[in-house]
Amino acid sequence: MPAQPLNRICYVEDDADIQRIVRMSLEKIGKMTVEIVGDSTCAVEAIIAFKPDLVMLDWMMPVMDGPAVLRKMREHAETKNLPVVFITAKASQRELDELRAMGAAGIISKPFSPKNLPDQLRGIWHGLP
Amino acid sequence: MNHATSTTGEAVPSAANAGRGVHSPDESADPRQILADRVGQLFRQAPIGVGGTLLVVALVAYELYPAQMRERVVLWFWVFIMLLIAAARYTLVVGYRRDEKRDQNPERWLRWFAIGALAEGVNWGFAAGAFFLAPGVTDVQRVFLAFVLATMTAGGLPLFSAVWWVFGLFAFGVLVPFEAVLFTYDPHGKRLFADLALMVPFLLAINMTVAYRLNQVFVSGYRLRQAYGKLTEEHAVLNQQIEQQLEELLQAQREVEASGRKLALFAERAPIAVLEVDRNATILEMNPAAENLFGYSTGELVGRNAIRTLFPPDSPALQSPAWNAFVAGAKPVTLPQTVCIRRDSIEVVCEFTLTPLVNESGDLISVIAQVRDLTQVLEAERLKKEFTSTLSHELRTPLTSIIGSLQLVNSGVLGAIDKDVADLTEVAERNAQRLLDLINDILDIEKIESGKFVLFPEDISLDALLRESLVLNKSFAERFKVRLEAHRELPTVPVNADRKRLLQVLTNLISNAAKFSPEGGAVELSMTVADGTVRVGVGDRGAGVPENFRSRIFSRFAQADSALTRQKGGTGLGLSICKRLIEAMNGRIGFEDRAGGGTLFYFELPAKQAVAQTHQ
Repeated sequence: MPAQPLNRICYVEDDADIQRIVRMSLEKIGKMTVEIVGDSTCAVEAIIAFKPDLVMLDWMMPVMDGPAVLRKMREHAETKNLPVVFITAKASQRELDELRAMGAAGIISKPFSPKNLPDQLRGIWHGLP
Repeated sequence: MNHATSTTGEAVPSAANAGRGVHSPDESADPRQILADRVGQLFRQAPIGVGGTLLVVALVAYELYPAQMRERVVLWFWVFIMLLIAAARYTLVVGYRRDEKRDQNPERWLRWFAIGALAEGVNWGFAAGAFFLAPGVTDVQRVFLAFVLATMTAGGLPLFSAVWWVFGLFAFGVLVPFEAVLFTYDPHGKRLFADLALMVPFLLAINMTVAYRLNQVFVSGYRLRQAYGKLTEEHAVLNQQIEQQLEELLQAQREVEASGRKLALFAERAPIAVLEVDRNATILEMNPAAENLFGYSTGELVGRNAIRTLFPPDSPALQSPAWNAFVAGAKPVTLPQTVCIRRDSIEVVCEFTLTPLVNESGDLISVIAQVRDLTQVLEAERLKKEFTSTLSHELRTPLTSIIGSLQLVNSGVLGAIDKDVADLTEVAERNAQRLLDLINDILDIEKIESGKFVLFPEDISLDALLRESLVLNKSFAERFKVRLEAHRELPTVPVNADRKRLLQVLTNLISNAAKFSPEGGAVELSMTVADGTVRVGVGDRGAGVPENFRSRIFSRFAQADSALTRQKGGTGLGLSICKRLIEAMNGRIGFEDRAGGGTLFYFELPAKQAVAQTHQ
């Protein structure tokens, strides 16, 4: 369990509506600091610049999907050890297993509840080693 | 050999004998029937004998009439006796002719005939004794008499020798008294008549021999006739049997042809492609559906190898080892998805069902291949998958935005809003949630039905899961102003089940119970263990399940009252999914009326290990 409370979140998501909902949920309900990245191809650079506590990735994105962003993060020293939570509409057990195998810290399925999202993230955060 | 008494064996009815096959004449001859035939011959010739006798008697009477008065009385007596015997014999003949069962009792008729023959013979012997020695009789008359007696004896041969001993009786009757008379007659010391006496036994011996020979000839003649008759009869029966068998064969052939035409019609009109191939996979016959499927006419394909013509060269489905194994095994085989090449080189995916046609000794005659075009089926499956994927991913994304936005608004974190607006956004959120539930349920059903559904069973504590479900559904129940309670203390029961899916079932049952509970009521969770089975019950105090809905409550899209659905939500798929999930976990689901009103929905699962039975 990390020493400091969860505060800085970076969310990579191409859908503008979801971006706004997540931002509102985390900022208004969770009182967290949120950075939203819309273009996944420059996600790693943005993450390095923002220095978040935790990264949230959408799975399905054009050009570069969530798993690809994670693989790229693993290549950079600054991002390689950051905890990653996937938000996905995919629900099959095989796909979830795939994400866990990749080293995802947690999976939140779409549609998520914005009311509970901050608590869900904190739960994952507290479960980290 | 005494034919008169040879009655060995009963007369065998020839019809019964005929069916058993053809016999040799000796086997089939019936001695009794032969005897009856010979007796018949005796009687047929008897009128000739009687007539001839009367003629000779008249001649003798006429020749001897001039003799002395004393002999004349004897003569008349003799003639009278002779007439009596003739009348008796003729009466016997008439009686014989009238007897319809005469052949069944030949011995009796032969006995009477023999008595008649003996009587006549003896009377001729009496004539010899009475007239030969009479003083008034001249030597010429004596010679005449001797000649008559010899003639009578010889004349008896053709008449009596059908049965040799009848002739014997007759001949002895005539000749023994005559012989005695000849020996004793020696009027003038002349040995002329004594010499004649020496010749009489000789005559008797020759006649007897001839009679016996004739007898044999008659016996074998009748035996042959009888055998021939039987042969003819058997031949007729055989002919009849052959004709009957021929008719049956023709009938069978007609039936086979008819059923063959029927089968051909079935294949001809069948929407499925049917090919007949031999053990080398050479095509023998095919139906119009096969022509349509492969694009070849029957004429083009018959005689060609099905494997080389219809499959791509690298097709793994039916390489020669696989085909040879099939031919050797001669067991029906189904090739689920096999790529075939049409005449226009287009690939089609087909399902092959190969059925070997074997004869009685198990040898392969040919193979019937039924080919189903799977192209449309596969296309439908692909479309369904695509649709499911669209439902899953494309519908969830906008729903995420809708539900998320409304939840944020309704949570009040964005500030207070007007009550009317809040009511409407609450309606919007509830219905968006309902839409999402529907999508999730449809996806679940689809997954279960397509067999892609996988359970992840683990050892879990059922009571803990129940307590978790109570917490999770608390807020939902509060919406309907319903309390969730555990009935008494829940016993600790480990089960092996899919945790997430079991929670889904519990959530479904609890939310149903909450929906149908009266305001202020309680939903009760109970748990009992008996015989290694744990039963989890979810009880409400609602109105109960309507009678007409009970039978289809676990069917898809089953809802008792659609008006109620709009009011309380639900997709009509929940219980159907629950049933499938519980059954997939080797369990059972059901419901019953509760004492004191309401309904108890329950599911049963095998308990992980024997647990002490709990009190109700």
